[in-house]
Amino acid sequence: MKDNGNPEDLEPQQGSGDAVFSVPLAHSGAPARLVTLFGSLTQSRQVVVRYVFDLGDPDYRIIERRIDGPLASITPLMPAATWYERELHDQYGVNLTGHPDLRPLLFHENWSEEIHPMLKTPSEIPWVERDYPFLKVQGQGVCEVAVGPVHAGIIEPGHFRFSVMGDLVLHLELRHFYTHKGTEKLFEGSTADSGVIIAESVSGDNCFAHAVAYCQAVENAGAVSAPLRAAAIRLIGLELERLIAHIGDVGFLANDVGFVVAHALASSIKESLLRASARCFGTRYWRGVACPGGVRIDLDAKQGAMLSEAVARAAREFATLAHVILETPSVQSRFETAGVLYENFAEDLAVVGPVARASGVDLDVRRDHPYGRYRDLQLEVPTIHYGDVLARARIRIQEAAVSARLICETLGALPPGPTRLAVPFDGQRQGHSAVESPRGELFYWVEIEDGRLRRCHVKSPSFQNWPAMPLAVAGNIIADFPLINKSFNLSYSGCDR
Amino acid sequence: MILDILERSLRERSPLIPVEALLNTCEGSRMPDVYPALLTPEIARRVAEICPTAAFTTREAGDQLELRLSYGECIGCGRCAEVGHGAIVAAQTFPWTGVSKQRLVRRWNVNEKAEITVISPEPEQAREEIYALLGRALNIRQLDPGSCNGCEAEITALTNPFYDLERFGIHFVASPKHADMLLVTGPVTRNMAEAVKLTYEAVPAPKLVVAVGACGCSGGVFAGSHAVVGPVDAVIPVDAYIPGCPPTPAMLVNGILQALQRHHHER
Repeated sequence: MKDNGNPEDLEPQQGSGDAVFSVPLAHSGAPARLVTLFGSLTQSRQVVVRYVFDLGDPDYRIIERRIDGPLASITPLMPAATWYERELHDQYGVNLTGHPDLRPLLFHENWSEEIHPMLKTPSEIPWVERDYPFLKVQGQGVCEVAVGPVHAGIIEPGHFRFSVMGDLVLHLELRHFYTHKGTEKLFEGSTADSGVIIAESVSGDNCFAHAVAYCQAVENAGAVSAPLRAAAIRLIGLELERLIAHIGDVGFLANDVGFVVAHALASSIKESLLRASARCFGTRYWRGVACPGGVRIDLDAKQGAMLSEAVARAAREFATLAHVILETPSVQSRFETAGVLYENFAEDLAVVGPVARASGVDLDVRRDHPYGRYRDLQLEVPTIHYGDVLARARIRIQEAAVSARLICETLGALPPGPTRLAVPFDGQRQGHSAVESPRGELFYWVEIEDGRLRRCHVKSPSFQNWPAMPLAVAGNIIADFPLINKSFNLSYSGCDR
Repeated sequence: MILDILERSLRERSPLIPVEALLNTCEGSRMPDVYPALLTPEIARRVAEICPTAAFTTREAGDQLELRLSYGECIGCGRCAEVGHGAIVAAQTFPWTGVSKQRLVRRWNVNEKAEITVISPEPEQAREEIYALLGRALNIRQLDPGSCNGCEAEITALTNPFYDLERFGIHFVASPKHADMLLVTGPVTRNMAEAVKLTYEAVPAPKLVVAVGACGCSGGVFAGSHAVVGPVDAVIPVDAYIPGCPPTPAMLVNGILQALQRHHHER
């Protein structure tokens, strides 16, 4: 076996017209999992592309390539790279050869084609009208159903184009990035300290995971680690966020099959946790808590006991409720076999988080790339191989129980000491970090120069998982789409950034 | 088993929060309030310096120093309270929700240690008034033109058994054509600008538009981004503003009720 750490492996082989890559292999011998790929600029404004792989080591493998002229696409070898390369094409104007689909991804029909914001800051973006060709499914009896961007309900915007025959979905094409806010560009020039505010606004319901991932990346750049007590408080926040998200998701799944009592109870349990959080920390979603070097809050024994009691009670009530939901025959008949995501699809698209674990892919950043307090924990990671809506519901129910236990254990043994330390920001530094957010692997990469961000890349689990969702919908009836989509529960803003 | 759950639901007290307890509370939002008696020029300047979204600003007028707070820009990060030495604290009550843009701004004379906000009096909220006002049902269409989904999470909470917005006769509808009010979160992205205009046009008149959250009010963290057109009022006319990042469900309930009341009085 070759030494896979060698960057030359990624060089196009000489002499072939279509550039061919040898993809690095993981220790298992299988192709390494692609975590993300993104561009940045050197001081002389040359584009550098970084490929981040998971070889099975605790740390990630980052491979850098400087770009002069066209770049060979790795999408034909690794379908998981497809959206990343389209984003690179949009943001940096990199000419990718061999990519099967280079339609604009981030910028819709009203953006002119010459705009590449990360390459050159646009002073003005003219409003134009372009075409966006959707894939056409043709044949007798095939109809198109267009849904969105404005959906019926309190949901984020996105466009779904179904090709159906009767009720049967033959193909679903996504058109997202309606909520693209140029977030990665906004990080540029921000101070390392206030960058956390932008990170918190990438995906509001997972704001604490984003904040911690950002802060850990900055700390990694500064070669420091948050103090023990801060790391413990971060763990509590991260697990509370997961617990709240999973309880809410399971409730909404019940709602989508008409089991509204279960939904009302789940939303009550979720609200009780948000209110306990507000009472203890003054914030419902833990905004403004994490900061580079630690956390901005501390909690005393009384607050700890109050939170611990609220979490234990919520976990108990949710376990009872979840049991009822899973044992209800009408729920079973809708959840079972709906929206199957096959393991090989999940692996090919490098799917992460509960969705991956429900399709038999054994991945969890907390165990595989441990950070903070997770370094000292033995974490069991449940997996299910059915890949249907039921599997995704069951994974969340099992993980919620683990999260509640972790919170109570950590609250019971909070290490003493400071909650914050200074992070050195002098000179030019790079750092990265990953966090297991409620939706899966969240990866941040930062480059800091004299205390200011030169670049901050966000790999969100939703960006990774969205392309897999249509594969789970094809072959189902269109009426099951809301349920299948909910079982993935991906963030639009987190994806679109 | 389902019977166990129903039995327990019946046995336990309803979590519904009484209207009186909901009004004006903002626990969990970290919106700042100012105790003018403790204000000093040093605190005022320091707060304006560290506020990441320029919600706090200062202005020198002759030998007088003025501190200005615009809730529309505030993201509740809590940095001001850290350097405020008790002069700046987390607000306990929050009437600045569902109001006009002008009313989101407060001013203090730092030297005189006094609030100098000039406001036209707005009617006191009373329970009777709210019930009298809401004789008819209000239909809300929520619209997300680019939010981070933090506001959506809190708007969704309005339908849970704690807040139960339906008790006021207010409910969320699926189509803008059925709506009386558009509840719009987030900055308007370039990719969503057209959809926002079309949705606004689809709502039958008379219609109310309420901008929600720091982003909806001012662009918030995303103000000035090349991919963002601006806050909600950069694209469609807005009647009332609900600040916060995100506003808590209580602030949203208050804001929606207050927006209705204002509209009612103006007609």
